[in-house]
Amino acid sequence: MIKYLPSQLRFVRSFVTPRAFAGVSILIGALAFTDLAIGQGVAPVTAGAPAASAPAAASTAASSTPPEIVGDAQRGKVKVATCIGCHSIPGYKADFPTVYSVPMLGGQNAKYIESALKAYQKGERRFPTMIATARSLSDQDIADVAAYYAAQR
Amino acid sequence: MSRPTTPRSAEDLLMIRFGPSKTDCLASIALASLFMASVAHARGNADNGKELATKKYACVSCHGATFNNPIDPSYPKLAGQHYDYLRQALIAYQKGEHPTFGRANAVMAAQAKPLSGKEIDDIATYLSDLPPSLVLKR
Repeated sequence: MIKYLPSQLRFVRSFVTPRAFAGVSILIGALAFTDLAIGQGVAPVTAGAPAASAPAAASTAASSTPPEIVGDAQRGKVKVATCIGCHSIPGYKADFPTVYSVPMLGGQNAKYIESALKAYQKGERRFPTMIATARSLSDQDIADVAAYYAAQR
Repeated sequence: MSRPTTPRSAEDLLMIRFGPSKTDCLASIALASLFMASVAHARGNADNGKELATKKYACVSCHGATFNNPIDPSYPKLAGQHYDYLRQALIAYQKGEHPTFGRANAVMAAQAKPLSGKEIDDIATYLSDLPPSLVLKR
């Protein structure tokens, strides 16, 4: 947006009165600022992974225990694509082995969602659709998805 | 010349002439499907379910007094969860080793094992009727 601002302003100036131009410039300036602010707001999320893993790596070096994975609801939001096709449709029912409603997940305990998904991964829970879904998720994905659903109210 | 002594309704006369009408057939189908729908939505007894869940099988001791507050965060909240899901989950714990829908979990296997089909229905009814904290959102 910033890149195109001068040409936008010249374009606007070509057909409005000076007074109106001032107002429009402020508006465009504000939009540009919003754009910038959003850009800054997004940046830490994408840059967050390496920043967060740095201290974790340090603690791994100090002790042999694996770093604790912390779920992030914001990141979970973009990882629920394979969940919403069933779990977000009111009245949706699975048809195996009999017809029954799939469980509501919003507001459920995060640790329970994690343990259920891991039980599917390990095959302790044997429902084929959920085994396939759970095995497509990393430990971090599971923590993020669980945090996302647990935060719903 | 003989005539029927009792007056017949128009419907009776039609039945004599043409046999069962299309409407009759539709009505029987509608009745039958209504009956089947009521069977599909038949649920258990919530009062008995309460007795079982809070006393006899003490589900409450792990899943919490309101069934929204389990004693450990790795246990699920159950209040207001779908009736047919709760039912299916208990059946899955009973059939722990079933290759396609069993759930192998030591604690829940022990809990689910003694339950009869009716007890499962009753418990699921009681739990699904409780005030929920669960929501269905995207």
